[in-house]
Amino acid sequence: MSTQLHTWTWLTWLAATLVAISVTRNLFYLTLILLCLLVVYSFIEDANQRGAYPFSLLRFGILVSVLSMLFNMLISHFGETVFLTLPEEWPLIGGPYTLEALVYGLTNGLVLFGILIAFTDFNQAMPVRMLIRLIPRAFFPVAVVISIAVTFVPTTIRQFYQIKEAQMLRGQRMKSLRDWLPLVMPLLVGGLERALQLSEAMTARGFASAAPKGGNTAHRLAMVVSMLWVMAGWVVSTRAGWETLGLGLILAGALALLAALWWAGRQVPRTNYLKEKLRTGDAIVLMGIVVIGLALYFPFEWIDRSSLYYSVYPLLQWPDFDPWIGTALLGLGLPAYVIGLRKR
Amino acid sequence: MKSRWLSPLIYLVCSLVGIVSLLYPFFLPQGTTGAQPGLQRSADMPLMLTVLLGLALLVLVYEVQGQAMNTKLIALLGVLVAINAALRFLEVAIPGPGGFSPVFFLIVLTGYVYGARFGFLMGVLTLLVSAILTGGVGPWLPSQMFTAGWVGMSAAILRPLLLGLHLKGQGEEIWILAGFGAFWGMMYGVIMNLWTWPFIAGPADQYWEYGVGIWETVQRYASYYLLTSLVWDIVRASGNFLLILGFGMPTLRTLRRFKQRFTFIYKPTPSPVAQSNLSG
Repeated sequence: MSTQLHTWTWLTWLAATLVAISVTRNLFYLTLILLCLLVVYSFIEDANQRGAYPFSLLRFGILVSVLSMLFNMLISHFGETVFLTLPEEWPLIGGPYTLEALVYGLTNGLVLFGILIAFTDFNQAMPVRMLIRLIPRAFFPVAVVISIAVTFVPTTIRQFYQIKEAQMLRGQRMKSLRDWLPLVMPLLVGGLERALQLSEAMTARGFASAAPKGGNTAHRLAMVVSMLWVMAGWVVSTRAGWETLGLGLILAGALALLAALWWAGRQVPRTNYLKEKLRTGDAIVLMGIVVIGLALYFPFEWIDRSSLYYSVYPLLQWPDFDPWIGTALLGLGLPAYVIGLRKR
Repeated sequence: MKSRWLSPLIYLVCSLVGIVSLLYPFFLPQGTTGAQPGLQRSADMPLMLTVLLGLALLVLVYEVQGQAMNTKLIALLGVLVAINAALRFLEVAIPGPGGFSPVFFLIVLTGYVYGARFGFLMGVLTLLVSAILTGGVGPWLPSQMFTAGWVGMSAAILRPLLLGLHLKGQGEEIWILAGFGAFWGMMYGVIMNLWTWPFIAGPADQYWEYGVGIWETVQRYASYYLLTSLVWDIVRASGNFLLILGFGMPTLRTLRRFKQRFTFIYKPTPSPVAQSNLSG
């Protein structure tokens, strides 16, 4: 793996980034987070041997932000700083245009761009085989299906082009939708024939021939109870207004569910040919994430957490900036530091 | 312990959690609009929705895979998902007009021919595999997987209906399936918008706001949908309709032919030597 961070380190980093983006609408913090993510992206792209991403991320981000800004300005007429007024009788776009709506749209665009770039970093850093390995043991049939599918996709695309060339040699032209039929049907039939051969080979090699160890009624029952627990927590949180109790119930239900899945997975033997190790770089990134968690959630007296919940309405003002939170958020850029260090 | 009742219960609970998670903007209580907590909840609600939906999806997939899987179905599903993911890969490389996507065509037809569990897994795994391959893994993925799973699962409902009306192999069968594909082309957009809509919450008449009440929320969503998504979804629905109408009949014939080849049951009988060893 070219980026050389543990899979769970990347997952933790992704979760921390999403939480950081979700908890704030402060433009200063959002800009800091985005800068960190873009720096990480450039380092991953540099270290990766898979080549550049198929589209310009920065251009896409600017497009999303500008569109969101314009869209919100056009349809939202709230705020006190009016810079243009169109006749009220014009449907939808009529009324005052405000600076607050413009900035609010920009904030939304930055949040969406941040989520996109965080997942792009994650997708670029993680090879496909590592993503498949993340599938829990309890889902081994699904993991096998995904492995087959991922293996067969390049073959399918290759076969598609072979069929296309063969049909072109026979004088086939793509004029209407029906002209695609001679391409699609051989692709489907060829794929299904391969599936038959594959299933025979799997059966011959004894795949899934062993009897399952014990029944799974207890696992399934535990999962249903956990889901009901989560559901109850959600109802308590949103309908009854007891947010802390509700979130506690949701968390407990989710943990019980994951425990039931882990329990079910214990019945499935699994062999690992490649074991990942936690290294110093992982420790650096994880430490950074702990610092972010403390800055965002631990009740330190010297941290002004109200700056996270910034709103542009009703009158646009400069958002507050807490240097402790700002410095902690820079920790999201630590994967870039580790990748750069290893490269040297 | 008899577990015959457990499976329907799991389907019911998980589908209920999925539906409630997606429809949560309409269920929230009235009265906190404009307040600071409302603003905070606008930010954390989509995250909670993703978690709830993801958990329900995990349980549903666990249940379905346990009942539907054997070697032949695993291979069949793997290859069909590969074909569909390749179509999505081509769609990402050469984007079609509006919301057009070729992936629903096979999800509908496999759900119709091979049954609800197979259709559900086909929908869920097509979206997952194509997301892994095209770098599309994100918080939107559980909603996409759940909805595509529903497309495949619900297609199976049509089978007894059309067989009961003796429409198998008739032209009407394809017209009804094409209509069903068009319906889900629209519904997919309606449901997927529910994920993004609260996330871009704002004060305008078309945006979600915490605690404004169910009717106000429905009105806002309707305005938002008509303005931003209707045309996009009409293109997707038309694409599904035309694809099923154009390719549906030969594809159904092929899937049915292979269904017979894939559903043979192999029951090994022990050889006399093995039997004598066991008894001895």
